[in-house]
Amino acid sequence: MLQCHAKSCPQGQSYPLAIRNAELEQLDAEFNADFVTRLMPKLDWAVLRKTAFELGVAELPAEIPTEPTQADLQLIHKVALETRIKEADMVCNGCGHVYPIKDGVPNMLLQDHEI
Amino acid sequence: MEGLGKPQLEQTHVHNVYNIIAGHFSATRYKPWPVVDDFLRGLEKGSVGADVGCGNGKYLGVNPDVFTIGSDRSDKLIDICRERGFEAMVCDNLKLPYRDNCFDFLTSIAVIHHMSSPDRRLMAVNELIRVLRPGGRLLIFVWAFEQEKRSRRRFEEQDVFVPWKMPKNVYLPEGSAAANTTPNTTVEEEGGDVVYQRYYHLFKEGELEEIVGRSEGAIIDMSGYDRDNWYVIVTKA
Ligand SMILES: C[S@@+](CC[C@H](N)C(=O)[O-])C[C@H]1O[C@@H](n2cnc3c(N)ncnc32)[C@H](O)[C@@H]1O
Ligand SMILES: [Zn+2]
Repeated sequence: MLQCHAKSCPQGQSYPLAIRNAELEQLDAEFNADFVTRLMPKLDWAVLRKTAFELGVAELPAEIPTEPTQADLQLIHKVALETRIKEADMVCNGCGHVYPIKDGVPNMLLQDHEI
Repeated sequence: MEGLGKPQLEQTHVHNVYNIIAGHFSATRYKPWPVVDDFLRGLEKGSVGADVGCGNGKYLGVNPDVFTIGSDRSDKLIDICRERGFEAMVCDNLKLPYRDNCFDFLTSIAVIHHMSSPDRRLMAVNELIRVLRPGGRLLIFVWAFEQEKRSRRRFEEQDVFVPWKMPKNVYLPEGSAAANTTPNTTVEEEGGDVVYQRYYHLFKEGELEEIVGRSEGAIIDMSGYDRDNWYVIVTKA
């Protein structure tokens, strides 16, 4: 969902941001199959899958399950709702801009000359 | 107000002030406004949205059946949101870091009145509309120039400084205000309290609709006045 928004960033390369030097944190969120089912079509599956794989969180199926099993839903719940990036650098593939995540909070502010 | 450029005015009299008063401000913000509460509770289950300018996160947990990302320009207020267990990030309403058409709903509660020119207010609305998906809904609240009779405030002008008074001993135990202030922030000392001046643009009747109407793709479903504020509910075409 997050993209680079620096003025000088080349069109079409501002998304997705790559995640480097990540430190993860596991949360406990109540599992709600209905909620996860409704959330699924809103996820960018390819990006979620790639990120989850690179961060070693989970291996999601290549295609978004059309008729998700309970296990699928639980896996998505874990990846999307129970895994938080505590510390990391989010790097734009287009312009190299680095946005930090500190203590679970992404800081997406730009300097004045970048706006 | 004269003499400061627009971004500098907002930096000094909005962003710096909120960062300094964050703790005290948060302690005064807990009661949800009914129109906002109804809007959030009326959303479809599983909706994904953002509260832009979320302050201490007072609306982030109102409806547990939707997923709301908080965002605010003040990192101190975002820290408070995180301590309360909400998802939140630091970003600027004038340049949102989200993809086009990515949210089912958005709320902007008492934020756009901190933008100091017509262009910047329109830019803020345009950004909200950009990240809303077609068919998605947006609620905007701004402070009204026209205050209710029972309200303790009267305004002479639309662009004003509104003082935030902080009891010094409670919120600045370290002593002097200067220690906690960035240069340029207006501080007056009044019998021990510290007064910070927040910049506001007060909206006149019809002004919010006019700005939203200029944003491409915005369809106003409803507009109204509630407790000294103007609001609109907007759908993206
Ligand atoms: C009056 S408070 C309202 C907070 C919250 N929405 C509520 O209803 O309690 C205004 C908020 O807008 C934020 N704000 C002001 N300018 C902003 C900007 N350019 N981008 C994002 N947030 C901004 C402030 O940091 C502050 O938290
Ligand atoms: Zn970039």
